[in-house]
Amino acid sequence: MVTLFVALAVGAVLFGIGLYGALSQTNLVMIMMGVELMLGAAMVNLVAFWRFLHPEVYAGQMFVLIVMTVMALEMAVGFGIATGRFRAKGSVEMEEARELKG
Amino acid sequence: MAQAVFTGSFGVAAIWFGVVVFRTSSMVRSALALLFSQAAIGGMFLAMETEFLGVLQIMMMATEMAIMAIFMVMYMMDPGGLSEMDMTHQKRASLAAGVLGAFGALAVALLAGWGPVEVQVPAATAQVHDLGIEIMERSMLIFETTGVTILTAMIAATAIAIQRRH
Repeated sequence: MVTLFVALAVGAVLFGIGLYGALSQTNLVMIMMGVELMLGAAMVNLVAFWRFLHPEVYAGQMFVLIVMTVMALEMAVGFGIATGRFRAKGSVEMEEARELKG
Repeated sequence: MAQAVFTGSFGVAAIWFGVVVFRTSSMVRSALALLFSQAAIGGMFLAMETEFLGVLQIMMMATEMAIMAIFMVMYMMDPGGLSEMDMTHQKRASLAAGVLGAFGALAVALLAGWGPVEVQVPAATAQVHDLGIEIMERSMLIFETTGVTILTAMIAATAIAIQRRH
């Protein structure tokens, strides 16, 4: 039970740090880093739930694989947007971005 | 008890490097700190006897963060952080939201009734085998959908990033 609480507590704190980062940063790449931390926190919780509550149901591990995929896709599409934005405006500062067009 | 200590130690490392991500002014250091944070999360998976996912997490994040570091050097105005530029806004509101989110999640973790905890876990080889069976049987549709989603995201990212002809 102790390890479950330790894992959930770590997940909660990581989620808070990620949320702070995603909201406070002005740079697109740094915002993505915050989102990555939040997804990492979700994965910690999922693994803890699988390990300590239902190790016989592999849907828990499957869910972690899906979250890992979402992390990779978020990076790919995020960097695609960053590249497009950098070509158009010469910067990936989101303070200056009012819309995603061009 | 040893499992709790190892999980906690890796957890503290993950949190510490997570904080460093937003504390340092060097973007390259930020990317490396995120890499170490995600690797520590992989260490937590290993400590929780989820070997396959732990190794996968460490390998995937090492590659992902290496690519992220390259993009940071490419796109940041000051990747080395030499001019100590402030790239933050609405700090107080963000901090409040982060603290509120963390405490909310902590409250749920402490107050929810999780039921009995399983002590035994399948062996590492059995886990890989059973996860493979899960992917190829019950979660086949989810797995296939994930593959199509990856393909779609690859095409979308390339379409957004390529230079437009005028």
